[in-house]
Amino acid sequence: MNVIEISGLEKSFGSLEVLRGIDLEVKRGEVVCVIGASGSGKSTLLRCVNLLEQPNAGKVLVHGIELTDPDVDLDRARRGIGMVFQAFNLFSHLCVVDNLTIAQRKVLGRDKAEAERVALANLEKVGLSEKANAMPAELSGGQQQRAAIARALSMDPDVMLFDEPTSALDPELVGDVLGVMRRLADEGMTMLVVTHEMQFAREVADAVLFMDGGVIVEQGRPAQVIGEPQHERTRTFLARVLNPVQAR
Amino acid sequence: MAVSKRQRAQIFRSFQYGLLVVAVAVLAIVADWGEVTNAFFNLDAAGTQVPDIITSALVNTAIYTVIGFAFGLALGLVLALMKLSSVPPYRWLATVYIEFFRGVPALLVFITLGFGVPIAFQLQFDLYSTVMLALGLVGAAYMAETIRAGIQAVPKGQAEAARSLGMSQGRAMISIVIPQAFRIILPPLTNELILLTKDSSLIYVLGLSRDEYDLTKFGREGLNQTASLTPILLAGLCYLVITVPLSYLSRYLERRSGRRKDAADTAAGLEVEA
Ligand SMILES: Nc1ncnc2c1ncn2[C@@H]1O[C@H](COP(=O)(O)OP(=O)(O)OP(=O)(O)O)[C@@H](O)[C@H]1O
Ligand SMILES: [Mg+2]
Repeated sequence: MNVIEISGLEKSFGSLEVLRGIDLEVKRGEVVCVIGASGSGKSTLLRCVNLLEQPNAGKVLVHGIELTDPDVDLDRARRGIGMVFQAFNLFSHLCVVDNLTIAQRKVLGRDKAEAERVALANLEKVGLSEKANAMPAELSGGQQQRAAIARALSMDPDVMLFDEPTSALDPELVGDVLGVMRRLADEGMTMLVVTHEMQFAREVADAVLFMDGGVIVEQGRPAQVIGEPQHERTRTFLARVLNPVQAR
Repeated sequence: MAVSKRQRAQIFRSFQYGLLVVAVAVLAIVADWGEVTNAFFNLDAAGTQVPDIITSALVNTAIYTVIGFAFGLALGLVLALMKLSSVPPYRWLATVYIEFFRGVPALLVFITLGFGVPIAFQLQFDLYSTVMLALGLVGAAYMAETIRAGIQAVPKGQAEAARSLGMSQGRAMISIVIPQAFRIILPPLTNELILLTKDSSLIYVLGLSRDEYDLTKFGREGLNQTASLTPILLAGLCYLVITVPLSYLSRYLERRSGRRKDAADTAAGLEVEA
């Protein structure tokens, strides 16, 4: 069964056509990685999945609910779609545990004790139990991103969107975050991940999409797309990402 | 003759010191120190002022300021949200309001509320309501712009994260954006409180009984009774007791928020690039 179903998706900013007809399906329990050059529209695609961006054309269905239907209750639909941002976006005025409980309480109506129980369980899962009472500014980037993942998980989503979750991190902190994501995938979470981490895509993804010029140029098993790319544009992109020094 | 840059700076500095010495000397010679002492530092006159200047006038000034500030803050928040509204008429209304109340003297607002409105609308406000409205209406115009700037200074990712968790736009505003905006604008709001403290002296136009006197009115009555400026000086000192700590508080908050921002920037990496 498809958790995410996108068809004919188009999105422009003014005269700039960023997405020019995207079709995409993500099945339950699948991990799909999106790769592509900077500016190719990867973030825009992800943000169209939970309607943070309003598409110009096309359909977006999550769990069979059409989010592009103007009458749909978006706030309700978004509860089930976790999102993790490149810049973490932890609520800077709240300590870690409050970051994890506020939406549970205000959106799901859980009581304080229940919300904190869920929050602490998720912090444990991402290895941050001892930081429950820290402020976001007191955490390293890797810790902030893991807290942000735990925040999304606390809403019990059944699909998670990741937008380059490790590209704002120092190299030595990347592994912690990828480790958490890998465990999440092993537990069967449905995930749509924009990433430049080819190793992660190769080992964890069920499918890899290469985007360029607002369309999906190539898609398939990771070994195919990353290992034996069919299109010239994919090959050029991969050469640059996999071997940045030589490609110059 | 060639004068180096450094020499020129030195000459200029000596000149400034010289000017200061001359000014002090002239003041010392010209002033009649007996009269000055009598006018400003008259202990008998001071004796008639205490303790009421503290227990009544200072307290009244504080109360008038706080209620005016509280009302102004609430109205200012509403105006700020109107200015950010996607419905144009709300924006226009807020703009007209802000321009109007920033453009007219607060004194006129006091007079209008004290005399015009009661006659025109057959409404009788008590003193506290009048002060709260007058100071609040004026303060709101200034605070609205500050609050709007604060809301816009909260990174967009904060509201997006809130929406992605299923919060409605209003909920994200109340629980996430506004609390952060107020942290950002705490220093300018403190300054606004200082300005309102001084504006509260305009209450004198309303006609007060003695136990309703604020600091300025109290000082002026003292001046009439004692024929000494000492009560005015005392009233001035009482204002400073309120305003100087507030201005230090404001600067402290500013430094602290500067530091916090640095820390957040380092930790969060590339907020701008995202
Ligand atoms: N809100 C916006 N307004 C105008 N233009 C935008 C907006 N968001 C994105 N764009 C433009 O759309 C294009 C695609 O942006 P997008 O962020 O989706 O790319 P990306 O593939 O995620 O790139 P990166 O790898 O750098 O994150 C870019 O040219 C960008 O400048
Ligand atoms: Mg992006």
